[in-house]
Amino acid sequence: MTQPKVDACTREAVDWLLRLEAAGEDRDLRQAFDAWLHASPEHAAAWQRVGNLLQQPIAALHRVEAHSPGQLRAASHALMTPDTVSRRKVLRGGLALVLFGVSGAALLDRAQPLNGLWADRRTATGERSTFTLADGSRLSLNARSSVDIQFTEQRRVVHLREGQVFVDVAADARRPFVISTAQGEVQALGTQFMVSQEAAGSLTSVQLHSVKVTTQGGHQRRVEAGQAAWFSEEWVRPVPLSAAGRVDWRDGRVDIRDEPLGSLIDALRPYRRGVLRISPQAAALRVYGVYPLDDAEQTLQSLAQTFPLRIRRYGPWLTLIDVQ
Amino acid sequence: MSTSTDPKALLAALYDDNHRWLRAWLYRQLKCPQDAADLTQDTFIRVLDARQLTQLEEPRAFLSTVARRLLFSFWRRKRLEQSYLDSLALLPECYSPSEEDLALVREALESIDRLLNGLPARVRQIFILSRLEGLTQPLIAQQLNVSLATVERDLRRAFLHCLAESAELA
Repeated sequence: MTQPKVDACTREAVDWLLRLEAAGEDRDLRQAFDAWLHASPEHAAAWQRVGNLLQQPIAALHRVEAHSPGQLRAASHALMTPDTVSRRKVLRGGLALVLFGVSGAALLDRAQPLNGLWADRRTATGERSTFTLADGSRLSLNARSSVDIQFTEQRRVVHLREGQVFVDVAADARRPFVISTAQGEVQALGTQFMVSQEAAGSLTSVQLHSVKVTTQGGHQRRVEAGQAAWFSEEWVRPVPLSAAGRVDWRDGRVDIRDEPLGSLIDALRPYRRGVLRISPQAAALRVYGVYPLDDAEQTLQSLAQTFPLRIRRYGPWLTLIDVQ
Repeated sequence: MSTSTDPKALLAALYDDNHRWLRAWLYRQLKCPQDAADLTQDTFIRVLDARQLTQLEEPRAFLSTVARRLLFSFWRRKRLEQSYLDSLALLPECYSPSEEDLALVREALESIDRLLNGLPARVRQIFILSRLEGLTQPLIAQQLNVSLATVERDLRRAFLHCLAESAELA
């Protein structure tokens, strides 16, 4: 046991951190904490020690994640698996399964288009599209999105390859309506919902009635109207509805309510060519408001006027956003 | 073998007499001449740093003990990196990181792993989900199907472990 090596102040600081994180907004607790923090310089030093723990490597991983999504998941996956021989076996087994899943789907893709049931739809950068499917369902694609549509006697399936899709489903009791992603399927139990395919997994949010998520690994969960959930092959995780889950993009805007600037920038990405990089400090700024998507440059300009941001452009292909 | 007591001369003698043998020994473990040469060098540097060098009774037993420790952390780093690269392989190619990113990630992984070393799997996992992925305690409890009290206890344990380790390394 290494724990006795840590002094009493540092232990108290850890307790405070955990309590504050668990409590959310709690003014009494906050006041009690402030009193503790200012009671002695040793408390402040201990608090700093706890706050600084691993801060550097974690910030480095977040930085890499910001411009090369998926890194954080890969890193945390590597760190989480305990260092034993069996880890390698488990990992290999898992990989083989996933790879098989991917290539299986890819084979299916090539086999099917010829029979005419498939119809690819895609949108370019900055472009949105809404169209009606054969069954009367209405499908909206956000910018930089693509779907394949496959309707059979048994099922109506829309494969989301990339980007975001919103659907208003026409009722058909005999044929379930499903949107599938690389991680699993979202089945309509009602009418309106959104699915987003991201590098790190899939996100769904429900505007009306509910949906059932089934992951590749067989995990299931119902998501109700006004709710959102992330899912991977192996889990479904309910999350608060945020800008990423709202569907205001259909009207060409993003509605952001006290959320990190990083989320707003993420919403703008499919509307701009070139790489948009944002520093972790800038990404953490809280933003509130409705911003237009169609003129992403203008939105960036107005952000720079409202927030202490520095926006540097290196030609049309690279834009860096940082705090001043 | 030299009988001098001058540390420099002792090290020189130790090196002359044993570095080929050590490199061959490491090569047998690593099957890679560059890695074997690197670790041979590291071993002698460690020996130089470690102590007031005195005449060694069993220089090769001593060297291989030091080398074994280096070998262990070398494998650990390799496994960590491989595990990370394996996870990355699942991402679409357009997300493949640059060399610069890889170097950053590798360094970050090693420093986190060093502090977490010795913690049980669940404690590690809970700490990573909380600190790296930013999940709340209730979400972690739900995802891992454990009680909130367990999450809190494990987080505390991980924090104290890492703080103790980082104090030791500093």
